[in-house]
Amino acid sequence: MAWYIGRRILQAIPVLLGSTLLIYAMVFAMPGDPIVALFGEKPVSEAVRSQIEQQYNLDKPFFVQWLLFLGNAAQGDLGMSFSGRPVSELLAETIPVTFKLALMALVIEAVLGIIAGFYAGLKRGGIFDSTMLVTSLLVIAVPIFVFGFVMQLTFGVKLGWAPVTVGGDASWDRLIIPAFVLGLVSFAYVLRLTRTSVVENLTADHVRTARAKGLTDGQVNRRHVLRNSLIPVVTYLGADLGTLMAGAIVTEGIFNIPGLGNLAFRAIQQKEGPTIVSVVTVMVLIYVVMSLIVDLLYAWLDPRIRYA
Amino acid sequence: MNPTPLLEIEDLRVAFRQGKQDVEAVRGVNLTVYPGQTVAIVGESGSGKSTTAHAVIDLLPGTGRVTGGSIRFDGREIAGQGKKVVRALRGSQIGLVPQDPMSNLNPLVKVGRQIAEVLVANDVAKGKDVDRRVVELLEEAGLPNAEQRAKQYPHEFSGGMRQRALIAMGLAARPRLLIADEPTSALDVTVQKQILDHLDVLTDDLGVAVLLITHDLGLAAERADHLVVMYKGQVVESGPALEILQNPQHPYSKRLISSAPSLASQRLLAQQRAEVREQAQEAAEELAEEVAHTDAEFGGGGDYVVEAEHLTKVFTLPGTAPWRKEDFVAVDDVSFRLRRGTTTAIVGESGSGKSTVARMVLDLLKPTSGTVRFDGVDISTLRSKQQQLALRRQMQPVFQNPYASLDPQYSIYRAIEEPLATHKIGSKAEREARIRELLDKVSLPWSVSRRFPNELSGGQRQRVAIARALALQPEVVILDEAVSALDVLVQAQILSLLAELQSELGLSYLFITHDLAVVRQIADDVLVMEKGRVVEQASVEEVYGSPQQEYTRRLLDAIPGGSIELSR
Amino acid sequence: MPEFPADVPRAALPGQERFVAPLDQTPLAETGSFDDSRPPENQWKEAWKRLRRNWIFWVSVALLAVVAVVVLLPQWFTDLDPTYAQLSRSLEGPSEGHPAGFDRQGYDVFARTIYGARASVLVGVLCTIVVTVPGVVLGAMAGFYGGWLDAVISRVADVFFAIPLLLGALVGLAIINNLWPDRGYWGSILTVVFALAAFGWPQVLRIARGAVLEVKNLEFVDAARAIGKTRRANLWGHVVPNSLAPVIVLATVSLGVYIVAEATLSFLGLGLPPSIVSWGNDISAAQNQVRSGQRLGVMFWPASALALTSLGFILLGDAVSDALDPKSRNRE
Repeated sequence: MAWYIGRRILQAIPVLLGSTLLIYAMVFAMPGDPIVALFGEKPVSEAVRSQIEQQYNLDKPFFVQWLLFLGNAAQGDLGMSFSGRPVSELLAETIPVTFKLALMALVIEAVLGIIAGFYAGLKRGGIFDSTMLVTSLLVIAVPIFVFGFVMQLTFGVKLGWAPVTVGGDASWDRLIIPAFVLGLVSFAYVLRLTRTSVVENLTADHVRTARAKGLTDGQVNRRHVLRNSLIPVVTYLGADLGTLMAGAIVTEGIFNIPGLGNLAFRAIQQKEGPTIVSVVTVMVLIYVVMSLIVDLLYAWLDPRIRYA
Repeated sequence: MNPTPLLEIEDLRVAFRQGKQDVEAVRGVNLTVYPGQTVAIVGESGSGKSTTAHAVIDLLPGTGRVTGGSIRFDGREIAGQGKKVVRALRGSQIGLVPQDPMSNLNPLVKVGRQIAEVLVANDVAKGKDVDRRVVELLEEAGLPNAEQRAKQYPHEFSGGMRQRALIAMGLAARPRLLIADEPTSALDVTVQKQILDHLDVLTDDLGVAVLLITHDLGLAAERADHLVVMYKGQVVESGPALEILQNPQHPYSKRLISSAPSLASQRLLAQQRAEVREQAQEAAEELAEEVAHTDAEFGGGGDYVVEAEHLTKVFTLPGTAPWRKEDFVAVDDVSFRLRRGTTTAIVGESGSGKSTVARMVLDLLKPTSGTVRFDGVDISTLRSKQQQLALRRQMQPVFQNPYASLDPQYSIYRAIEEPLATHKIGSKAEREARIRELLDKVSLPWSVSRRFPNELSGGQRQRVAIARALALQPEVVILDEAVSALDVLVQAQILSLLAELQSELGLSYLFITHDLAVVRQIADDVLVMEKGRVVEQASVEEVYGSPQQEYTRRLLDAIPGGSIELSR
Repeated sequence: MPEFPADVPRAALPGQERFVAPLDQTPLAETGSFDDSRPPENQWKEAWKRLRRNWIFWVSVALLAVVAVVVLLPQWFTDLDPTYAQLSRSLEGPSEGHPAGFDRQGYDVFARTIYGARASVLVGVLCTIVVTVPGVVLGAMAGFYGGWLDAVISRVADVFFAIPLLLGALVGLAIINNLWPDRGYWGSILTVVFALAAFGWPQVLRIARGAVLEVKNLEFVDAARAIGKTRRANLWGHVVPNSLAPVIVLATVSLGVYIVAEATLSFLGLGLPPSIVSWGNDISAAQNQVRSGQRLGVMFWPASALALTSLGFILLGDAVSDALDPKSRNRE
């Protein structure tokens, strides 16, 4: 097992390096003069300019800049934003907000998706199943921001049950509606995955054998069908955390939540190189870590999997 | 006074819904089982034997349902009486030992717990007693180290051990009737025999009646008191086991008995085989002469067409740490020679390395060491594409699985044309003529050429695979379990087709199989393999008449029905 | 437990007498016969038969047929120019000849919804093509040849896969918008296509690679090798055609998903430029009216059109998936 984890981490390193290199190259290609952006419209003297260029390594070739960025990043220095604050500080502020939002979305989609998918699978072909099928497809087909607006309008503007926008106070209760919106698409996937998995397991030989043992339908469904059906669902959910954090860019925009997505969006609009690279690096890191966790989770859930 | 029947099935009808119509899978089956008795239902795939058994415990798959007739258990009607009636009987009164040990245990639940479920669900044991009882049951089923085994997951068990666990499960609540649905057909013959023997003893001791479902007539006759032969959803013949075997009345039972390889008369077989061999060798010699005088193919036309010397294959598996690779010796120093126009059979159970040998001979897998010579030429020295294609032309395989060995997207015409096209043989018209001829050889009508593999039965597909293998006029055909997946009747037809082709075309066969019973019909020389090694190597007569090795004797002993005398 | 009485002859037990079925009621079929009356059917034809029986398929076909006509012949549905603004009628409600009213800029909402179809569908279709072709080719090679080739291709795909699709596309578009601000209709469409495709192809690659890994060990592949087919001929002649089913399903569903993704990019202001009539732009432009609850119709029309189009593709994907994989077909 230890060797498996070691090998997986070794495999993750080129991915991590490659992704940062890719995004660094893209940002590097961005037009515009970062120094002008830093100083706004104020004129900059040549001496100050070259000093800043040296300070930020802007005079070095691209590849060297990337290596220096990596070196600094490893020490926790991710550079400065245009507002003059260290990017690491900005990340420390925004990551918890988005993480909370994504986690809430994950719980919502998991609970609703598994329950609905389980019943749809047990009663396949029934009214509930058909309704859920159409609902899930509809949810995938409608852009998430349309749902966002509808929810905002209904619960925020019309009913007044929830704040229209979240703003600075990102507490649990204020995040419920955004989290629901964020988790909606994944809910559809969880539902479909659970349903397919349940239907598959219902016809499995070992389930028939369990019935032949004299167990009631309820016992068979809970102990043998549900449990076995959850393996693919749990691994999907694990991988989904990263997707949700990235998807927050839209939700956070609609509900004005001061999270990572908002930070990324502003940085992209203002072409703030260090921030973009840092946010993407965080996302890649989450992806890499979550896929490792998912693999280990898989081994834990399914005793057949043994990693060597 | 007669005892009261335990299970009475009368005029049972079962139908499956397909689209908008019902398709009857079981049509008017009658069957009676008395307490303590073993009754066997024998039939090919699709005969409705498993469906009948599943109808008894109301576990019909998919859209299946009982449409008529009655099922009485202990005098009480249980068909169509609602779910609860049958569920109350499951486990406690009627146990099930299912067919495939690999798929019938929940992979995520420890074996002990799965057996405990039966005890708890049927109120047989409670609390601490459960664990103790589970261990006892596993021991009773013949599983060593039962205490530790109970704490393991199914994947840590071998196939035979899983089947023992399933037997423990089926008998856990001491049912009065045990339905054993092909309980051992997925296992190696020697394991099969052990498990059936054990099941016999157990059910005898406990006085449990057994409804045995099997495709193997020999096995059924050996184990059951009463036989029910099913064909296409109907009972064609039933009665005392021995009586049916020795004096079958219905043409289907007659056919079944004459086709069963394990029951066939040995003397007769040896005679037939000798005739085939004589003709084949003659034809092969002519062929060899021809080959020796052309430049297109290689080889000198010697006596031995394939010679394998010291073949060894080592697979390297990842170990517990990156630098600790484990070597697995799949084939260990195997040598044999295939005489022109004869059949050499390689017999072994799963994991014996027999298929790996076949793949090395076919040059689909490089041996770790050792050589394969085709007609005197070491095949590893064939460098040019021309030479390699020449080798391919002379040696062709037919694989086991008739469902996987033909590309589902190729029509039968294209499938047989493919080798001709690859070797750029003939014009379009010539190829068509050749395909006609080949289909004719394997007794398939020309109209089959437009069809796709999914439209054909297993036997038909295997015929197509043979036609395809013969397209390039090879000298050697390697049959890797080529008849193992087929029903007995179809198997017999394919075997006689193979013999016919051999004598007509002078083919040499390398026949890979796990089934010693079949070997007698087709082979001249036998190689018995165990765990990668050759344990015995002799002619068929010697192997059957006086096996030298303990392992060979065990294999022969395990052939079901081998000991039954047929007074014919 | 009642003992089996040894003194009673077994054959004599009631219900177990010797029975032989009359032959006329149990005729023997010729083994190896097959129904020659039906036309030949390969698995694609069979899948098509299953597809035809599925109502979901017909719903999706109806939706997509309408979409196709709208894309090709928008002038059939409206005489109005979607780029003609009447500021004086800003946010006016539905009226004669203007069933959906006007948006803030004074554009006719119905006309814009009709003309917006083209951009969305183009992005969806082109994206799917651009993603699928390299995904299948590289995935097939990685899965079939294995070894270092697989390691390199898979690692490179991982690099792109690790960056979230939306985020990566946004960064890409931000750069191109700056480097090449005015790039015309096709230029804009193609940039969005390539920005999405750049981070979307690894998904196809993974699916294709997995399918090839399964198929390459089937016996017919070995059988083809044994007749002397080269590895390459085997890959493209046998393995790839038999691995396409999951890719086709993914591609159909992706069509819908990419249409939604384009709208999201436009909503974030980095997708298609405002000069191009597109649903995403119109929905984005309507957000202020919706937030203030002024006139919902402005968003309702393009959003519904977008949802129905994307639903059409997603339903098609669902039906195709059922047809191609009968095992997963679990609707009875």
